[in-house]
Amino acid sequence: MNHKLSPMDLGSEFSHHDPTVARINNGSFGSCPSSVIQAQQRYQLRFLGQPDDFYFNHLKPSILQSRQAIKTLINASHVDEISIVDNATTAIAIVLQHLMWRFFESKFNPGDTAVMFQYAYGAFKKSVEAYFTRAGGHVIEVKMPFPLTSNDEIIGAFKKALELGKSDNRKVRLAVIDHITSMPSVVIPVKELVKMCRDEGVDCIFVDAAHAVGSIEVDVQEIGADFYTSNLNKWLFCPPSIAFLHCRNIPQVPNLHHPMVSHEYGNGIAMESSWIGTRDYSAQLVVPKALEFINRFEGGLDGIRKWNHQRVTEMAEMLVRVWGTNLGTPLDMCSSMAMVGLPACLGIMSDSDALKLRTRLRDCFKVEVPIYYRQPNDGEVDPVRGYARISHHIYNTVDDYYRLRDAICNLVSSGFTCEVFSRLKEVNRSTVNKFRGVGEDRGGRWAAEIRDPHRKKLRGVGKVKNGVRVQSEVKNGALNNAALTSFDGFECVDVDGVGDAL
Amino acid sequence: MGEIRNHGDHPEEEEDDHHINLPKKPKLSSFLTQSQIHHEFAHHQLGVARINNGSFGSCPASIIAAQKRWQLKFLQQPDDFFFNQLPAQILRSRTLIKDLINADDVSEVSIVDNATTAAAIVLQHVGWAFAEGRFNKGDAVVMLHCAFQAVKKSIEAYVTRAGGSVIVVHLPFPVNSNEEIISEFKLGLAKGKLNGRKVRLAIIDHITSMPSVIIPVRELVQICREEGVNQVFVDAAHSVGSIPVDVKNIGADFYVSNLHKWFFCPPSVALLYCRKSSLSSDLHHPVVSHEYGNGLAIESAWIGTRDYSSQLLVPEVIDFVNRFEGGIHGIMSKNHEAVIEMAKMLAKSWGTNLGSPPEMCPSMAMVGLPSSLGVLSDNDALNLRNHLREKFSVEVPIHYQPLKDAEVGPRDERCGFITGYARISHQVYNTIDDYLKFRDAVSKLLQDGFSCRMLASREQ
Repeated sequence: MNHKLSPMDLGSEFSHHDPTVARINNGSFGSCPSSVIQAQQRYQLRFLGQPDDFYFNHLKPSILQSRQAIKTLINASHVDEISIVDNATTAIAIVLQHLMWRFFESKFNPGDTAVMFQYAYGAFKKSVEAYFTRAGGHVIEVKMPFPLTSNDEIIGAFKKALELGKSDNRKVRLAVIDHITSMPSVVIPVKELVKMCRDEGVDCIFVDAAHAVGSIEVDVQEIGADFYTSNLNKWLFCPPSIAFLHCRNIPQVPNLHHPMVSHEYGNGIAMESSWIGTRDYSAQLVVPKALEFINRFEGGLDGIRKWNHQRVTEMAEMLVRVWGTNLGTPLDMCSSMAMVGLPACLGIMSDSDALKLRTRLRDCFKVEVPIYYRQPNDGEVDPVRGYARISHHIYNTVDDYYRLRDAICNLVSSGFTCEVFSRLKEVNRSTVNKFRGVGEDRGGRWAAEIRDPHRKKLRGVGKVKNGVRVQSEVKNGALNNAALTSFDGFECVDVDGVGDAL
Repeated sequence: MGEIRNHGDHPEEEEDDHHINLPKKPKLSSFLTQSQIHHEFAHHQLGVARINNGSFGSCPASIIAAQKRWQLKFLQQPDDFFFNQLPAQILRSRTLIKDLINADDVSEVSIVDNATTAAAIVLQHVGWAFAEGRFNKGDAVVMLHCAFQAVKKSIEAYVTRAGGSVIVVHLPFPVNSNEEIISEFKLGLAKGKLNGRKVRLAIIDHITSMPSVIIPVRELVQICREEGVNQVFVDAAHSVGSIPVDVKNIGADFYVSNLHKWFFCPPSVALLYCRKSSLSSDLHHPVVSHEYGNGLAIESAWIGTRDYSSQLLVPEVIDFVNRFEGGIHGIMSKNHEAVIEMAKMLAKSWGTNLGSPPEMCPSMAMVGLPSSLGVLSDNDALNLRNHLREKFSVEVPIHYQPLKDAEVGPRDERCGFITGYARISHQVYNTIDDYLKFRDAVSKLLQDGFSCRMLASREQ
């Protein structure tokens, strides 16, 4: 790609990325160039230097500047329609709370429905449960097939769900439409679906476009939804975290409120969102700086989008060719991400397998890529059950994808299957207890025995065949047996076991 | 509460353990010198008499540096940070906080952004209770007249809107003793219950914001229990790092304190303590993630992608405060002594008063302003504050205290009524010059015959 930034400049802008990692997961947490980070740090320092002055004299105008930049970016008709929030998760909480009150105030009836994709983001499903279902509403899921071959499959599935939502005299109060689904990742024909919702009299149309800005074209007026939210720290080079909530008809929703209530309550959602108590707002102030960065590239944001899409589809095609698998969607339904089928012999049989495989790729191959498990339909022969969601952003190189290619090939050729995970005792990574022990190889299974149960902290390093060094350490309690694995069949280094006392 | 120990601080752990990262412990065995303290706060704007630590807090350079290290870890490899480091580090912070406030169990401690968020959590819970019929329309929530504006608005947003009623209790100011507060609260609460309303929740400040006074919360919580109030929420935004906190002793159901005000954390981080009881399991963070239903502490630990670094610094802050003689207790005593000394100096110079006796002041004090300055409205107070910032580089919030009675009230040495108070703060970076600068600014204003009326007319 031609950009005015030399490859060296580009490298320095992302030199804080761990250079040993093939980082092909921009979709999850995004990325931020050094020049934007520095701009953010300057704002942070200004606040720390004289917070009162910053609060009274600089914060509001700076937020307004960011809002104006966003308005132009997404072709909103007025800056009043733009509120800046932490992330899409916050945006949906705002809208769902508003709908919750309509149940409380008897404007909605118990049993009224909401329609959302089966593949909607986990947090969104929980949010709908927490506010809409709890207040008396009922959720209809759009059952979308995957893999997909065309938009028609999506449109057809959505139509079915809307009809179901309206059956038995119910009203569809809410439609949550992804612009780009998260897992599996697919570009959804939002414009068509929004029109369908309007025709069917849906009260409130909310587009979850967390991934959209910076990876596909966004024109909120053309899309025509009531609410549209996108993160700017995923694909638009802003630091964590910042998103916007666009409200099409701001005068018609005076009762839209941020759940965190400050003295700005009642001054409109944009004002309320701009002050929710003392915190670091610096990520919200660097949108102009991010746009400046983007304009150093030939073609600006458009050029970057096209480049990312072109590269990710090239890489996706390369991978399916080498692995003998298939893509999850046609190329024109991919954004800057693509779903690439994984070899069936890897034996991914569950969401848990998918997560563990992802961990394995991170720990043993230093490849960062999320894995999706898809349940096969009845009658499928040798189905592809696992897909890697590869991302491409301007810092990626072909090597990143060759490393993924080789890692998977390595696993396949060494006969690895996810079945090995079920031989592991459940290791729960989310607790703080690390356990270390002295171990011995017992024919593929490795047990660590902590020899001194009276000391609070017990240490030792275990060595196993195949160059695997497994460490476990006990804190706050004795551990009698920690069973960990040696990983049969392939090289792995420095795997840390983290878990509960067993 | 003795000296705070850092759990898990064993140097030998640091070898190849890249999942728990403790910064190297300082090798210094002596305490921080004045010069070192000055360096720690060298990023504070030069030339400003910064006597308002109470509003936005402050953060030393070594903590900022530690924060940057965490931020970098996320930027380097965010997935690894999210899966392998973040939950453990948040749990570490929560565990240290539990000891700090003498809670029974770490499950009672959640970390949130600030007291404003905590209010939303507790009040949303009340809102649901009204909506789901557990509370009846008209059931009441009690608040203090001087409650923080965000709390008042939260009550409007979640309680009033859901059909609840509000009992407002006025506390006296200026105030002379705890007894005055206790008896006013008793009266106010009883009056509010007169028509037989059930009181579901009382929200009580531990240290009021404006005007700032330490409230005898333990006694007020007891009164609430005696009067049949279901639950008590203590808004202690200012307390951690300025007064000792023992949540078991205080006995409230919910207790929130910011850690970026007086506990040297960067903006922003607060603790929300929820006493273990069947009711507290129904609390939810308003921003719902996949952790919904796993308990408030776990919900609060992940509310979508954002920068959680300010929540991970409690261990480093504990190291920092232990570089002061007496640790956090030493800091609290020194701040308190210094702010009282400065308050008395100012009051003497201006011929005014303190708004409360020293024992009711934390690291802040309310100092009466000369009556001729003419602070006669909230607008006057804000205008005067801006004027002091712009013309004198003095940062101090001003409070307007209307007279209870037209002919009764504190008077200054010229016999005018005192209606304006400055809330001066003292934190480790302050020096006497800051307060002398303020003293001289006011003297100049008096010399020039200044009155807030002049600022108001300028606005028009």
